[in-house]
Amino acid sequence: MTEHVLDDLEAYALGALTRTDAERVASHLAVCDSCRGEAMSLGEIVGVLPESVPLREPSPALRERVLAAARGEVPPWRSRPAWSVGHIRPWPIITAVLAAAVIVLGAANVDANRQLRAVTAERDASGTTIEAIREGARTWYMAGKESFSGSGGTLYDPHADGKQPFVLFHDLPAIPPGKVLTIWLVSAGSAWARAANFVPDGRDVQVVPISLEVAGFDRCAVTMEDAPWGPRYGAVVMESRIAPPATAP
Amino acid sequence: MAELEPSDHALMSALASRELGALATLYDRYGRLAYSLAYRILGESEGAEDVVQDAFLSAWRGAASYRPDRGNPRSWLLSIVHHRAVDILRRKTTFRPAPLEAAELQPANEDTAASAERNVEDRTVREALDALPQAQRRTIELAYFGGYTHVELSELMGVPLGTVKGRMRIGLQKMRRSLEHMR
Repeated sequence: MTEHVLDDLEAYALGALTRTDAERVASHLAVCDSCRGEAMSLGEIVGVLPESVPLREPSPALRERVLAAARGEVPPWRSRPAWSVGHIRPWPIITAVLAAAVIVLGAANVDANRQLRAVTAERDASGTTIEAIREGARTWYMAGKESFSGSGGTLYDPHADGKQPFVLFHDLPAIPPGKVLTIWLVSAGSAWARAANFVPDGRDVQVVPISLEVAGFDRCAVTMEDAPWGPRYGAVVMESRIAPPATAP
Repeated sequence: MAELEPSDHALMSALASRELGALATLYDRYGRLAYSLAYRILGESEGAEDVVQDAFLSAWRGAASYRPDRGNPRSWLLSIVHHRAVDILRRKTTFRPAPLEAAELQPANEDTAASAERNVEDRTVREALDALPQAQRRTIELAYFGGYTHVELSELMGVPLGTVKGRMRIGLQKMRRSLEHMR
């Protein structure tokens, strides 16, 4: 077992550690019952601090923004997903690959365009994403490792203004209950920023929007985590370098 | 008889089942507090609203992985808000430890009308915080709301790192005792 971390638990509970130190503490807590118990106790005290904050009203539009964004997400389990194309047999993988090919080859592939039109027609809800693809995007492919071998994901950073980046995954294996997959964007200084959390929906192809701008990061990765927040703890299951953004002269 | 409101845990189960209405209820219940926390950390409304949207979407996406043994849904949601807001604060390339005086001015922005609506529990927490010696309260507030690491606080306050850690430890212990006594 690693060295006890009692000396750092207050700062950890308050979020006052560097990412590296927080990861070290989190790693220890995962294997030390006594430190974890103290950390949870401190977390309860820190957890009431928001109640000391002066209350403010967000704009009324925020509620609808939240709900509209959730409405546009891919429903992972029940009902037909808003944009997952897994049920369009036998094309799910072909569609994903062709969609990527359209971008890579400059939208010159007629078959790919036909497939894209088919997907568009099939899925009203996918319109925004398909449009983002049509208008071009930078893409990077992440190949799955070890237990994720055979799966992969392509990060799309649409050129069009206002289009949200997303990752198009294929052949993701099921993950243990209670776990979550996290997409990270990693800066040159090795700062890991959590871009999205999701659970594989069991379909061949799955799209996950990410909440961060890609610019400014030079690597993307996916890990399996215990929690959808906090520092990275899980092993990397797929990753790719991503091209640095163009710098201003 | 008044209709029973669903518990937070019931809402989390509904969220995991992709029920949008549960997300709306969760927002109605905690959206204001989440926004207030994000605003307190970031000091501006646009960024605070982005954080709140991001946090509720994280809850929507991650509800299936929520584990009750790691805290109640309210604390879970607010911890996401806190992490996101502090991450943004620290990622700003221009971020530097603000002058202590400027950081301490933020609580003075309190909306008096909103303040009057606070319930007893809110006031209890504020009182427990206010009851701390100034150095301990300042250390805890700058760490939690200001996004400062303990090393930055050591530099900012001009005291050894061990002193910062000690202030955090004793301050949180006192808060725990105060809250136990008041509740």
